[in-house]
Amino acid sequence: MNKLDIPQKAIRRSIYKVGLFSIALLVLLLSYVIYIQIFESDMLAFHPLNRRTAETARTVQRGQITDKRGEVLALSKFSQKEYRREFPYDALFAHIVGYDSPKYGKTGIEGTYDGYLSGQINPEKRLGAISQLFTVRSGNTVVLSVDAQLQQAAYQALGNHRGAVVVMSPKSGAILAMASRPSFDPNTLNTTWDNISQAANSPLLNRAAQGLYPPGSIIKVMVAETALAEHVTNEFNCNGSFKIGPDYILTEVNNTAHGKLDLQHALAVSCNVTFGQIALNLGRSKMAKSFERYGFTQQMKGDILESANKLPDFSRLNDGDLAQTGIGQGSLLVTPLRMAMLASTFANKGIMMKPYLVQKITAPDGTLLRETKPDVWLSPTDSKLAGQIADMMVSVVEEGTGTAAALRGIQVAGKTGTAENPHGDSHAWFIGFAPAEDPQVAIAVVVENAGSGGRVAAPIARQILLQALR
Amino acid sequence: MRQNKITELGLLLLSGLILINGYLAVALPNHHFSYQTFSITVILIALWTLTSVVIRRRFFYADPVLLPLAVFLASIGLTLILRLRPDLFIQQAMWLAAGLIAFIVTVVIFRQTEDIAKYKYLCGITGIVLLLVTIALGVDIGGNKNWIILGPVRVQPAEFAKLLIIIFLAAYLSERRQLLTYATRHYGPLTLPHPRFIAPLIALWAITMAMLIVQRDLGSALLYFGTTVIMTYMASGKWGYVVFALGLFFTGSAVCYYLFPHVQVRIDIWLNPWADPSGRSYQIVQSLFALGSGGLLGSGLTFGYPNIIPEVHTDFIFAAIGEELGLVGTAAVIMTYILIVYRAFRTALASQVPFTMLLAGGLGVLTALQVFIIIGGVTKFLPLTGITLPLISYGGSSMVASFILMGMLFAISEATVTQ
Repeated sequence: MNKLDIPQKAIRRSIYKVGLFSIALLVLLLSYVIYIQIFESDMLAFHPLNRRTAETARTVQRGQITDKRGEVLALSKFSQKEYRREFPYDALFAHIVGYDSPKYGKTGIEGTYDGYLSGQINPEKRLGAISQLFTVRSGNTVVLSVDAQLQQAAYQALGNHRGAVVVMSPKSGAILAMASRPSFDPNTLNTTWDNISQAANSPLLNRAAQGLYPPGSIIKVMVAETALAEHVTNEFNCNGSFKIGPDYILTEVNNTAHGKLDLQHALAVSCNVTFGQIALNLGRSKMAKSFERYGFTQQMKGDILESANKLPDFSRLNDGDLAQTGIGQGSLLVTPLRMAMLASTFANKGIMMKPYLVQKITAPDGTLLRETKPDVWLSPTDSKLAGQIADMMVSVVEEGTGTAAALRGIQVAGKTGTAENPHGDSHAWFIGFAPAEDPQVAIAVVVENAGSGGRVAAPIARQILLQALR
Repeated sequence: MRQNKITELGLLLLSGLILINGYLAVALPNHHFSYQTFSITVILIALWTLTSVVIRRRFFYADPVLLPLAVFLASIGLTLILRLRPDLFIQQAMWLAAGLIAFIVTVVIFRQTEDIAKYKYLCGITGIVLLLVTIALGVDIGGNKNWIILGPVRVQPAEFAKLLIIIFLAAYLSERRQLLTYATRHYGPLTLPHPRFIAPLIALWAITMAMLIVQRDLGSALLYFGTTVIMTYMASGKWGYVVFALGLFFTGSAVCYYLFPHVQVRIDIWLNPWADPSGRSYQIVQSLFALGSGGLLGSGLTFGYPNIIPEVHTDFIFAAIGEELGLVGTAAVIMTYILIVYRAFRTALASQVPFTMLLAGGLGVLTALQVFIIIGGVTKFLPLTGITLPLISYGGSSMVASFILMGMLFAISEATVTQ
């Protein structure tokens, strides 16, 4: 031992510390890499700017989208070294199926179910290199609940009007048709994009689920149910107008005086005075609760991208505006989808089913990957009250404003609406279901700025119901 | 002693299997298999086995895991080069062969490691001249302005300058450590020796600042400076140097940040890469996508899209490993570096002579810092800088220099144990 050993001990000590520090640095780095590759993995892997999904998709035959009978609505064809998406029905399903463009992205089912269609979501993808053993070179097939023939009928029935149709099964919530006009052709997006994205009549908008309209008189079915539930059902007297407060007068169409009438008759003739009176009798909180019961305050999560419905702030409404809400006017705005669901509720013993578009998803070898089971969304009322409202809706079509929707041999229940709006002529509405005794389909039709619901929307609904019940 | 030989050969054989496996995994799915490249692979394995056999005739006690660790990382690098740039495979294989030869030569030269200390000024001056030449005459190839073109040969002198400067520092600091430790002056709260004794440190600081400004090379600047400072600390045991040096470095960097837009750009990209993901921060964002898409097990070799990342085969090779081999691959690589650093410090601590202690410790710090800076850069842990990933990135200078480094550690470890 010589005396050099003491400083060497000091060096050794500091080298030891530096060694620990160096290894700690690399352990810190390893922890960060673990964070990136495990915790941030999904965010980075499916980031819209990450080209990997698109690159893989180009080598994979994207799955088909079909209607419930297997009619192909979207498919991939191989041309010029890569797959291209084709839509055999052109504009007919544009809002449901959506588009798939390298330039403008994906919408509708193409967007929501991209993981299944491209095959990227398959569980074996997590197995690293081993996943190559199972790799399928084509995506999964998405089978929708819609019926191509009914969709065609709905689309044609709208004619050249702007508007929307929703047809659904009240018992399951399956969407059978969902048409929106004007539409666009997803096959020719690259050449028409500038036009359709800027057009004043918004062809890209899915009016059926994202169009917001005042409901007008069709909301009266809900108000009538609330009146029955709250026992606000005394006889009403209508002399053609109704003075509320000092400066507001609610009027009937053409100032018709309906005279003495009960709730059923009032609904059949769509008496504004009666329903304004009911809204006032119910009061703000019961009216607000009623909209809440029917789901208007909740956003639905699921296949269909919908706009949030707009309700007035009930606590701040004056009497005039409250009465307006009772007849579906004022600041109340709803989507056609929600109106079809409202009609379905009375067709389905007071139970509101969760609407869905995707029936099932199957792998290329036919294996069932996912199947939609009908699911109750809300139960706003009981079957007795629902039955009473359904009966009233039958009389609307038999003897009231909705006679244009009547079918020979099949009892139709319905309600018309003529919604005033700041954009011109009234919007024509019809909601209903048929056959009344055992409802198979429920429907909502809105035709923008077309006038009276009974004269314009009811005949359109009739044509569609005819096809649906064939 | 026989045990060491067997351990080393066994581990080298494992690395050989990994290389053959990697070669086949890349070559077979792409139908790139050729007897030429396959025989090159086999020759490399033979070559490194031969290297072991040759050096073990004179070296009985040296650390038996150093060569296998180096060869393992080089095998991963070679596999990735075959995957990413098949055209560069043969060249990289030749660099690996050159590295093995450099390893043997280094081991022989450093057999009497203490003798090297005599040439410290030669080493130091050569190192600094190489750096100055690079700063003055550096040519930009693939984003790094640290290439020197000498006729047909393209080299990155900075890779070798690092090692020379570490030899110089180890010798210089081990001689002067008493002065550094005890001859102090007080500057306010800091206690530092007379400027005369820390002149080399000031000179290195000036050179690193020049690298930062002229070459836009934050990574190399940090690497040189960090190694110098930490070696000074190891020799003196005084925190004052570290504080003083960090002060200098951050002052210098801050001034650069405000004066030079390109430094600002680098820092801004680091702070918020998502502000301009398709423009200035394209490379780092693509690197993150690759790492994230790889996840735990990766896409499997040849099944990912690492070629989306620019310069993936040099600075960004780590991101390619992350995408195709997943966290399993990146963790294996980082843990291998941790083992190398661990063995370097083990050698340093077992050593009896201050010079070799500091040399081995310095090489350990250099390796740790270099790996930290480049992997930190491609994972956005640190601002992105253009330095290579030792033993894995494509490039001859880096490969040969890394094998020289491993050779130095190997020789030192022999000397320490024989005492």
